[in-house]
Amino acid sequence: MAESTPMPARRFDPWPATIFVMLAVLAVLFLLPTAGVVLSSLKTTHDISMGDLWSLPATLYLGNFREALSNPSVHRYLLNTLLVTLPATTGSITLGVLAGYVFAKLPFRGSNALFLVLVAGMFFPPQAILVPLFRMFNAVGLIDTLWPVIVVHTALGIPICTLLMRNFFATVPNALREAAIMEGASEWQVLTRVVLPLSLPALAVLAVLQFTWIWNDFLWPLIFTKSDDKRTIMIGIVNLKGQYSVAWGVQGALSLVASLPTLAVFLFFQRYFIKGMTMGAVKG
Amino acid sequence: MAEVTLENVVKRYGDTTAVHGVSLDIAHNEFVVLVGPSGCGKSTTLRMIAGLEEISDGTIRIGDRIVNGLPPRARNISMVFQSYALYPHMNVRDNLGFGLKIAGLSKDEIARRVNEAAEILGLDMLMDRLPAHLSGGQRQRVAMGRAIVRNPDVFLFDEPLSNLDAKLRGQMRVEIKKLHQRVGTTIIYVTHDQVEAMTLADRIVIMRDGRVEQVGTPAEVFETPVNTFVAGFIGSPPMNQLPATVVGAAARLADGVTIPLPADIAPRLKDGQNVTLGFRPDGFSPAGHGMLTDAATVTIARDILIAEPLGNESILTVELGGKDVQGKMLNPRVLRSGERVDFLLDLSHLHVFDGESGRNLGV
Repeated sequence: MAESTPMPARRFDPWPATIFVMLAVLAVLFLLPTAGVVLSSLKTTHDISMGDLWSLPATLYLGNFREALSNPSVHRYLLNTLLVTLPATTGSITLGVLAGYVFAKLPFRGSNALFLVLVAGMFFPPQAILVPLFRMFNAVGLIDTLWPVIVVHTALGIPICTLLMRNFFATVPNALREAAIMEGASEWQVLTRVVLPLSLPALAVLAVLQFTWIWNDFLWPLIFTKSDDKRTIMIGIVNLKGQYSVAWGVQGALSLVASLPTLAVFLFFQRYFIKGMTMGAVKG
Repeated sequence: MAEVTLENVVKRYGDTTAVHGVSLDIAHNEFVVLVGPSGCGKSTTLRMIAGLEEISDGTIRIGDRIVNGLPPRARNISMVFQSYALYPHMNVRDNLGFGLKIAGLSKDEIARRVNEAAEILGLDMLMDRLPAHLSGGQRQRVAMGRAIVRNPDVFLFDEPLSNLDAKLRGQMRVEIKKLHQRVGTTIIYVTHDQVEAMTLADRIVIMRDGRVEQVGTPAEVFETPVNTFVAGFIGSPPMNQLPATVVGAAARLADGVTIPLPADIAPRLKDGQNVTLGFRPDGFSPAGHGMLTDAATVTIARDILIAEPLGNESILTVELGGKDVQGKMLNPRVLRSGERVDFLLDLSHLHVFDGESGRNLGV
């Protein structure tokens, strides 16, 4: 019987361990604020005021959630945020899809330069356009409505949506478009029946990005709205503070409630993050 | 009836001209193959017929309609792409029916036509599969099925077999030929593979640098190539081409060997004129091992450099006129490298090309 050769001793490789530790530290750092919010939402204002934020609560106090959710203003904030986020997300993605398709599949003279100009829009600091935009919307009487927030978010979303969709569309083989055109499809049919169904991963990424960014935005609603019934949820959280004290617990509870829709959107679209949809489309 | 006519069709990209005034008459039900090396303009020509490329000049007619300005969908043409271009998110059934659905046909009609095409191509069992779950040959058949369901006037094939392995390519060639016999539609087929061209075509169009070099049946382009390019492109192994100088009624090769020139050509040549002699490996065989019967031959003794046995024949390489020349040995016997063998050169199939222009002087 052949003698089995002993396995050579594995040499210790420090890299995986180092990377693991670094990632663990980063994860803890990222989770700390969330943990703080969760802990404060489950404590009474009295407990928090005692300065003992990081300990686990002795009893599970849900009064903060009750208070936050029973506040009629909060319902209004949530509705307003939805009224801004849904059309602005849909609008910016739709425009990004249309522009991205043209840049990727129907280039024209100067289209590359135009694409660069469009994408450069991403690098505008909002502070630089804040005052002109305020004056413009003020002049047309739209201040203290949700319209400026919707329009600005749609416009500011176009560069990133166009960039992402253009790059994704560029990976869809031209032969697919040409095959569909040979079969009698119009450009619109090529986009909606062939190219978009293959672009669900990109659409899902954009939907999550745009929804989260617009839902969580603080700046634009703060600038363009004044009255309480036009405020969105992020400003609403700040508004919940009392006159003489800060309601940390209620704010924490509302912060958690406010993050649920973005979490839901992410979980819903996660299943479309499928790679390799184009596998088998062409040779291979 | 769907004749396809190209009159002086030109394609320019900026300052570069990709296709220089191509003219072709393709008859109804004809199988025409455009063949040539990469960049010769064959695919561009096909795409202009399809309507995927605008034409810079000239006229394209399908039937009696000028289609220059018509979009692809108005031309009633189907195209099979090199990459198959199947829609990856649709199963075979939906891939086959996509064009019919776009055309607004009823569900029953779509199902009838799709099933008919699937039956012709043996796709019945694969209808619910996605393209990713098909083999290369099956994908190719789906691509062909997608082309035939629409009953087009003309089929265009753009190098449809180049992604398949050699064995499958052979099978698919037969299937395409059968398909043509069955549906009897005009086919314009692009390939860089001269074997595909020879086996499939009713007529072959050989292109180079955006120009048509020769149009003819496979036999015509093989037997009477109009120039050295066509002679070298068609046939495998290719035609041997040796530079020579005219001396009286013969031509002298670089190594001093003289070969008698065909009687109909010799009187037209001047002493000292540069020519290129061309002969196929089939016409250069060891005595007793060729197809030569009573044809006029000349005997040339040569040392074997390389012998490549292929079973029923061997390809022999020897040096002649300062170049490597290939001959064919039928019913081969074992030959050693360096062995001296008497070769018979078949003079009845000797081609004489002009030394400068490369034009075949016997055509």
